[in-house]
Amino acid sequence: MTVIKTENLVKVYNSKHLPVRAVNNVSLEIEEGEFTAIVGPSGSGKTTLLNIIGGLDKPTEGKVTIADTDITGLSDSKLIDFRLKNIGFVFQAYNLIPVLTARENVNFIMLLQGRSQREMNERAEELLTQVGLSDKMDVRPNKLSGGQQQRVAVARALASHPRFILADEPTANLDSQSAMNLLDIMWKLNQEENITLVFSTHDQRVIDRARRVVTLVDGSIAKDEVREPVVPAQ
Amino acid sequence: MKTWIKLAWRNIWRNKRRSFISIASVLFAVLFAIAADSFERGSYEMQIENMVMFSTGYIRIQDVLYEDEPSLDHMMMYDDALLDVLDGFSDRIEYTVPRIEGFALAASDRRTRGVMVMGIDPDQEDRFNGLSERLVSGSWLEPGDESVLLASGAADILGLDVGDTLVVIGQGFQGINSSGLYPVKGIVQLAVPDMNNNMVYMPLAAAQWFFGADDMVTSLIVMPDRPRNTERLAGDLQTALDDEWYAVLTWQDMMKDFLRAMEMDMAGNKMIILILYIVIGFGLFGTILTMMLERIREFAMMIAIGMKRYQLALVCLMESIFLSLIGVVAGVIITFPITFYFNRNPIPLGGEMADFMAEYGFEAVIPTSIDPVVFVSQAVAIFVIAFLIGLYPVYKVFRLQVIQKAK
Ligand SMILES: Nc1ncnc2c1ncn2[C@@H]1O[C@H](COP(=O)(O)OP(=O)(O)OP(=O)(O)O)[C@@H](O)[C@H]1O
Ligand SMILES: [Mg+2]
Repeated sequence: MTVIKTENLVKVYNSKHLPVRAVNNVSLEIEEGEFTAIVGPSGSGKTTLLNIIGGLDKPTEGKVTIADTDITGLSDSKLIDFRLKNIGFVFQAYNLIPVLTARENVNFIMLLQGRSQREMNERAEELLTQVGLSDKMDVRPNKLSGGQQQRVAVARALASHPRFILADEPTANLDSQSAMNLLDIMWKLNQEENITLVFSTHDQRVIDRARRVVTLVDGSIAKDEVREPVVPAQ
Repeated sequence: MKTWIKLAWRNIWRNKRRSFISIASVLFAVLFAIAADSFERGSYEMQIENMVMFSTGYIRIQDVLYEDEPSLDHMMMYDDALLDVLDGFSDRIEYTVPRIEGFALAASDRRTRGVMVMGIDPDQEDRFNGLSERLVSGSWLEPGDESVLLASGAADILGLDVGDTLVVIGQGFQGINSSGLYPVKGIVQLAVPDMNNNMVYMPLAAAQWFFGADDMVTSLIVMPDRPRNTERLAGDLQTALDDEWYAVLTWQDMMKDFLRAMEMDMAGNKMIILILYIVIGFGLFGTILTMMLERIREFAMMIAIGMKRYQLALVCLMESIFLSLIGVVAGVIITFPITFYFNRNPIPLGGEMADFMAEYGFEAVIPTSIDPVVFVSQAVAIFVIAFLIGLYPVYKVFRLQVIQKAK
């Protein structure tokens, strides 16, 4: 099943001097269960593309369909609701609410979805255990390392039962050990639970883990390849 | 909702020092405002109470023309018909105090002097203002007496003492001539110098006879069972009485000028408090503004992952309200015992003011007011300010751009 479908996406930024085509005619389909890396040099449009796919930004032209819903025309409040129900986000930084503990951060998204207290408690513990933070559940973000914070963000993204998870450079602020650790967790989730993951990155070792690699150059898809990923050592 | 409250509460403690400063500023504003208001209101409350208790009474019934032209020609009937009407209110009236007042000429064998003759019901009058306690020599009046009590100043001027005879000459109802000889039964010392030099008290019946005004009085003070029932009782009395003849006045009606002056004076105080609040408001606004600006990325992230804008706005609004509410509650908790103490143990006045008050027979003290209005109005004012300030982040949240910032 196709989860994400973009058709001729164009995003033009009208900066002071010349208009910039940050995304230029991108048509892309991502199937359920895919593990996709969006790569490319700095300024190639990775963030812009992910923002549009995630319903955070509007394309200048073209359309985005998420599991049969055309999100291009949705209003701001409809989009917020759509994101809440369909998309899990992991950002590069500022992912967590600083005044809430890891558990409360994970609960937060389920609370927004109106889930029951019992369901929230069970799921938060299960997910935090899955990302290896069973001993840090009641700790606030400022007491967690960068890698641990990103793992909480992954747990939170999963908590809402999204159709897919979008991660814009999730490892950019991490040391290589933490970065690989986070990647292992994401990879495992993809393998074992068939979670659809789309992430952008610069990091070659991260790219190596992806089954599908979409390369952007100047806002256009330069290469789109599927290959055997490097499997993490057990 | 619990989560929003929890979020807002924890957010205000993210920068403890800043929040403490904001709370402290609100606290001191509340402290000052309550103290100022409480003292001012307290001193007015005391003045009003003094006037009501010694002079006007809560309610007064008189002839409709008497207020504009207080003369003996504008007396009212104080007969069975009126007493019947009052009987109908017996459960709502504590007691009544009839008075007949008129000018006359008083003379001894040596001097002559204009005086104010007041016919009183000795028991009721005493109950009203404790006049008998001011007796310095002689004895208190009995209702059937044909004698007078003389104020000590007047007694000195006329050179009279207890047992001497006072000659009173005057004009009664509709200009009839009247005169009489009255033994001085007692001397009273009055606080107000003007009154002490001029008052002559006589039992009501004797005064009615003197003024040729059977069954008439100039006014009837009515004391309600409870002061707060004054308005209603006055209204009902007016309805029950023929308004072609009888006017029923409350103490507010009788003290119109004083109350207006009081309002004006309190308005000045309110201005100062208002300016104080504006200063505090800006301080609070600064805190709320920085609290918001330093969290723009966080806000963008929250909206990105699916938090509704109104939910986030609500959290921001609560932060502003919590900050001020803590200050208000702390301020009230601190000021209440203080104002309560000074209400029970009023601050004694010194200097001229004290002498002046003492002369008028008032206690020379300023009690504070513990009227809930004092506290509630400050709390409400701060709450409104906090709410208005809280609207700014609300506005910002609704306009916040999610991208660029939610990287
Ligand atoms: N808000 C904006 N206004 C104007 N131009 C923008 C804006 N955001 C991005 N751009 C431009 O669009 C192009 C694509 O930017 P984008 O951030 O998507 O690149 P990226 O591939 O994510 O880069 P990086 O690897 O550095 O994160 C760049 O040329 C950038 O300067
Ligand atoms: Mg980027």
